[in-house]
Amino acid sequence: MADQERQVDRRGFLNDTFRVAGAIGLVGLGGFVAGRRGRSDEMLWQLDPHKCIACGNCATYCVLDESAVRCLHNFEMCGYCELCTGYFEPEPPSLTSGAENQLCPTGAIQRRLIEEPYYEYTLVAELCIGCGKCVKGCSAFGNGSLYLQVCHDLCVNCNECSIAVACPSQAFRRVPADQPYLPKHREGTA
Amino acid sequence: MNQQPSSRPVGMLVATLVGAVFASGLVAAWRIDWWGEQGNGLSPRFGYSLEAYRRVDPALVGYDEVDRVPVALREARTMAVGPEDRLYVAGDLCILCLSPSGNKLATIALEEEPQCVAVGGAGHAFPGRMYVGLKDRVEVYGPEGKRVAHWESQGPKALFTSIALAEHDVYVANARGRVVLRYDLQGKLLGQIDGRDPDKDLRGFIIPSPYFDLAMAPDGLLRVVNPGMHRIEAYTAEGHLEQKWGKATVGIEGFCGCCNPAHIALLDDGSVVTAEKGLPRVKVYSSEGQFVCVVAGPEMLCPTATITEETRTEHKMKVHDVAVDSQGRILVLDPSTQSVRVFQKKRQ
Repeated sequence: MADQERQVDRRGFLNDTFRVAGAIGLVGLGGFVAGRRGRSDEMLWQLDPHKCIACGNCATYCVLDESAVRCLHNFEMCGYCELCTGYFEPEPPSLTSGAENQLCPTGAIQRRLIEEPYYEYTLVAELCIGCGKCVKGCSAFGNGSLYLQVCHDLCVNCNECSIAVACPSQAFRRVPADQPYLPKHREGTA
Repeated sequence: MNQQPSSRPVGMLVATLVGAVFASGLVAAWRIDWWGEQGNGLSPRFGYSLEAYRRVDPALVGYDEVDRVPVALREARTMAVGPEDRLYVAGDLCILCLSPSGNKLATIALEEEPQCVAVGGAGHAFPGRMYVGLKDRVEVYGPEGKRVAHWESQGPKALFTSIALAEHDVYVANARGRVVLRYDLQGKLLGQIDGRDPDKDLRGFIIPSPYFDLAMAPDGLLRVVNPGMHRIEAYTAEGHLEQKWGKATVGIEGFCGCCNPAHIALLDDGSVVTAEKGLPRVKVYSSEGQFVCVVAGPEMLCPTATITEETRTEHKMKVHDVAVDSQGRILVLDPSTQSVRVFQKKRQ
């Protein structure tokens, strides 16, 4: 009996092979579809720069020691001003990169001469704490090219974002993972 | 028997410690500001405020507000004064013509949003003719409001922001091109002023934001704002620089922020009325650039302090245009109150 059970003819072998291969294919296809579906449905936290009032809560209410919110710069909107009000104190002693002239308390903005009198301002993400001081300075006088965003290489995507809870202007919302940022757009700058 | 008396104090101590830890935890949890009601907790050096610069010494204010003319426009952008002190306010998709007392005389419908407007006065070849600057071209309207011409477009990269009229010339500020265009009365381009002169270390017009104003002075020189340099410059029709003045400072004697003034107007004696954005201030300077007085400060033009530092587009501080009427009164277009505010010089 045992020998008879072990004997498998060619047709049986092929049938079993096709069944197993079909089952593996179906499971794989299902997993692939489910995986894709999961990715597109995943939602992340982001803050709308057009609602943000740069209150500074982003710097202190994030669950991370160093906030996942950082300042970004839209170069298309920037005026490349010599006297950038996002970089300099309102009344700087001089227009140089000396610490006493800089608005950013952590020195997170770098200034580089492009061509007299145009300067390029670049954010150093590692130094930025997301306090939004430069955002206020830029918006008060300039084009508002500096703005805050949740950086998704840092954000742990909490179920309930503690910054969103503390945001006084309800600027935080969920966005699809395939469009994780809400870039600020131009509004008629020269 | 010997151990019992010593275990009681230890147990009580442990219970007290546990109770203290629990109470501390409760207090700590109670004190957490989950909703951000107590502010960001950052030190003051992380804060940004222009409050200290908003106050203007009352002794420096040389004008009183004497009237306010309502403007029935959703977004009033700019204005001009025409013959008989009629007001021409541009905004939405029209030009609103008002009497000095505010009665609506006419509404001229436009196909595009107007960026700037100028109306021929007594010194212009066609008094009452209206020149309306759209984004990239000028449209000309007769005194009765009928379109008589539209000039050639300067292309998609143009952004017209101001028009000034001489007797036979029309000057148009193109903010995106960083040039002043000079036309004849038929719309033929005669030349342009770019303000550049490498021999004199002049780098041209620096225009970081879309505010680039100009005005024709009684001395025949065109006054042009160079906002990125915080200067007013005077040019001949051929583009020769004759005068420049102005300095960057938040102090009342200068121009604040990255790029100011946003708008200018000229009094009959050549004095210059300036309007700044960001820290909204309307001031008067002599024709030589000496600070004379304040017309209206931030507290008058923007009574809600936080608005100047607001980043939301819909709450952001509006920019005030200025004009002068035949009586030497200064008119300030205030988009926040949707009105033209009239200021008269104080009697000494």
